[in-house]
Amino acid sequence: MSGGAPNPAIAIAGLDKWYGGFQALKQINLEVHRGEKIVVCGPSGSGKSTLIRCINRLEPHDGGRIVVNGIDVNNATSNIQDVRREVGMVFQSFNLFPHLTILENCMLAPRLSLGMKKREASRVAQRYLDRVHIGEQALKFPAQLSGGQQQRVAIARALCMEPRIMLFDEPTSSLDPEMIKEVLEVMEELASDGMTMICVTHEMGFARRVASRCVFMDQGQIVEIADAATFFEAPRSDRLRGFLSQILR
Amino acid sequence: MLFDPALAWAILPRMLYGMLNTVTITALVLVLGLAVSLPITLARMSPRPMFNLPAAAFVMFFRGTPALILLYLVYYGLAQLPSVHDGPLWLIFANAYACAVIGLTLNHASYLVEILRGGLDAVPAGLTEASAALGISPRQTFTWIRFPLAMRYALKAYQNEVLMFTKGTAIVGVITVVDLTAAANEVFERTYDPVTPMLGAAVLYWVLVNLMRIRFEALDRSLNRHLIADERRLRKPVVGASQGALARWTSLPAGPTEHAGTEQAR
Amino acid sequence: MLLTDSEIGYFRQLAGGAVITMELAVSGYLLALASGTVVGLLTLSRNRLIQAVWRVYASIIMGVPSLLVIFLFYYGGSSMLEGVIDITPFAAGLSALVVVYTVYVAELVRGAIRNVPRGQFEASAALAIRPMSAWWHVIMPQAVRLALAGLITVWMVVLKDTALVSLAGLNDLVAHAKTAAGASKEPFIFFVTAALFFVVFSAATLRVSARLERRFGRGLAVVKA
Repeated sequence: MSGGAPNPAIAIAGLDKWYGGFQALKQINLEVHRGEKIVVCGPSGSGKSTLIRCINRLEPHDGGRIVVNGIDVNNATSNIQDVRREVGMVFQSFNLFPHLTILENCMLAPRLSLGMKKREASRVAQRYLDRVHIGEQALKFPAQLSGGQQQRVAIARALCMEPRIMLFDEPTSSLDPEMIKEVLEVMEELASDGMTMICVTHEMGFARRVASRCVFMDQGQIVEIADAATFFEAPRSDRLRGFLSQILR
Repeated sequence: MLFDPALAWAILPRMLYGMLNTVTITALVLVLGLAVSLPITLARMSPRPMFNLPAAAFVMFFRGTPALILLYLVYYGLAQLPSVHDGPLWLIFANAYACAVIGLTLNHASYLVEILRGGLDAVPAGLTEASAALGISPRQTFTWIRFPLAMRYALKAYQNEVLMFTKGTAIVGVITVVDLTAAANEVFERTYDPVTPMLGAAVLYWVLVNLMRIRFEALDRSLNRHLIADERRLRKPVVGASQGALARWTSLPAGPTEHAGTEQAR
Repeated sequence: MLLTDSEIGYFRQLAGGAVITMELAVSGYLLALASGTVVGLLTLSRNRLIQAVWRVYASIIMGVPSLLVIFLFYYGGSSMLEGVIDITPFAAGLSALVVVYTVYVAELVRGAIRNVPRGQFEASAALAIRPMSAWWHVIMPQAVRLALAGLITVWMVVLKDTALVSLAGLNDLVAHAKTAAGASKEPFIFFVTAALFFVVFSAATLRVSARLERRFGRGLAVVKA
C-alpha cells in the first residue's frame, strides 16, 4: 500500500461495517491523497458502495476510524455536517429533486447549508452547470432531461458546494450506452482539474485513463490495490484476474 | 354510563336482525351497482357526446350528493311526482327497503363508473394493439384482455369504495329500514343507554368490514400472483430500492394512480 | 313559475343551513388536516408500540360508520358529561368528523412520505442539508404532491358527511330541507336544491384541484417523456 504522506485527504483505518449478522466491510485500510483519483471495482455485493457511503456517513460504521481532511467521521452531528460540506457525492440513480428546476436543484444546498444569498447561489449554480455543459437547460425540470443530462446535473449540484473530494457511486450504471460517454467526459475534466475523487465504477477504459490507483474489493475486503497499469496488466490475485477476465471480455 | 354487558347480551338478537338487513342491502347494492355502472362506464368513455354527456352528468350528480339526501329524494321526493305515485312503479317506491337499495345503488354506481374508467384507461394501449394484431375481435379483446386487466388495476380502489359504502348503509334508518344502526338507536330510545347499543353496533360493523377486507385481500393476492413472479425478472435490482419496490408494485393500483409513474421520474 | 312567500321563507332557511354546513365542513376538514398531518408524521416512527397502537386504532375508526361515531359522541357524550358541559350537535359532529378523518389524513400523509424515494433523503444528506431543512424543502413538497389527490377526496367526503350530523339534530342545510319538504308538501324541490348545493361544491372542488395538481405537480407532470 502506498501512503505515508502527511495529512491525507481521506484516511481509513481498520474499518468494519455490519448489517445485522452480515459483515459488509472487514478491516478496510485506505489512504487517499490530495488530487488522487481512486477507482474502486469488484463484484456486486463486495462492499464498494458501502465503503464510499461510510466516508460521508450515509452509513455509520461499526469499527475503525475514518478521517476526512482532518475531521473525524463519527457520531457528532457537527462533524458529519463538516464532512459532508467537504465531500460531494454522485449517485447511481441521480437522486435529483424532481420538484425543483435544474437551477434550483443546484442552488438548494448552498443556500441551506452554506447560507448563500439567492443571487450568489444562482451565479455559482449557473457556473457549474455551464461547466458540465448543461447551462442552457437550467430552467427545465429533471424529468425533462435524459439520463446522461440528469447525471451531469447531479455532478454540478455536488460541485456547487465546492467540495474538496468527490465520491461517485456507479454514476453510469443506470445509463443507456450512448449517454455513458458524456458523463465520463465530465468526470475526466473534473479529474484533470485536480479534484480528489473516489469512483465506484466498472468503466475500465475510464479507470485506465484517469485512475491514480485502482482498488479491487471482494467479500467486504480490499483484495488488491495498484496503479492502473499494474492493475490491468499484471494482476497479482486470482480473484482479480477472474474478475477482469469476466468484465473485459 | 358505561358499557353494560348484560344489556348487550339481551339486545344481541335485535342487533343481529338489524345487521342482517345491513348485509342484504350491501349485497344487493354490490350486485346492482356493478350491473348499472358497466353500461354507464362505456357511455362515459364513448367519444360521442350523446352518450358521454348524460353519463358524466349522472356521475357528477349522484357522486356529488350525500347518500342521505338521495334516500330522502327517492323515498319522499319521488312520491310527490304523480307519474311515480300513480304508476306501476309505486309498488317499488312505496317500499322503504327498495328505496334504500335504489338510493344507495345510484350513489355506489356513480363511484364505480369512475373507478372502472380509471382501470380501463390504465390498460396499456400496446396490449389491445397486440390483441388486435393477433386477429382477436374488438369485443373479445374487451372481454378477455382489457376488462380483466382493468379489474385488477382497479381492485384496490374498488375495495375502498365497497368498504366505504358498506359503512354508508348506516343511514337507511332515516327511511324506516331497520338496519344495524337503526336497531342500536331503537335500543337507545328504549333504555336511554346510548353507549351499550352503539358500541355493540360498532363492534359488529368492525367485524363485517374486516371480514370483507380479508376477502378482498385474498382476491387481490390470487388475481395478482403474476406480478410477484414478474417482479424478479422485469425490474433490475437497484440496491436499496428493491425492498420498497415490491410492496409498492403489489399494493398500488398500478393503473389509475399517477404514483407508479412518478416513481420512475427521478 | 313564481315562488310563494312561504317558499321564499323556506329557501332563506335553507341558505342559513348551508352556512352552518359549510362552517362544519371547513372547520372539520382543516382540523382533521392539521391533526392528521401531525399524527401521520408521528406514525412514521419505527417504534413497535406506536405502530401497534396506531394499527389497532386506525382499524377501529376505519371499520365503523361515521354516523355511528357521530351518535356516540352526541348521545354518549351527552349522557356521560351530563351536568358538566352541554354538548351541542355541532360540537359533537365536529369532533366526530375530526376524529374519523384524522385517521384517513394520517394514513395519506404517512403513505405519501413513505413513497418519496429513499435517494431523496440520501442526496439531501450528502449535500450537507440539515434534516429539518431537507424535510421542509425536499421531502414535504414531494409528499404533498403524492398526497394531494387523496386529501382532496377527503375534503369531498367530509363535506358530504356533514349531512349526517343533521341526524344528531344539527340545523344544517339537510335538516332545513327536510323540514321544508315536510311542511310544504313539496319534498322534491327542496331535496333537489340541497343536492345541487353539494354537487356544485364538488364540481368546484374538482376544478380547484385540477389547478392545484398542476401547480404542485410542476416538474412531475412531464414524467412520461
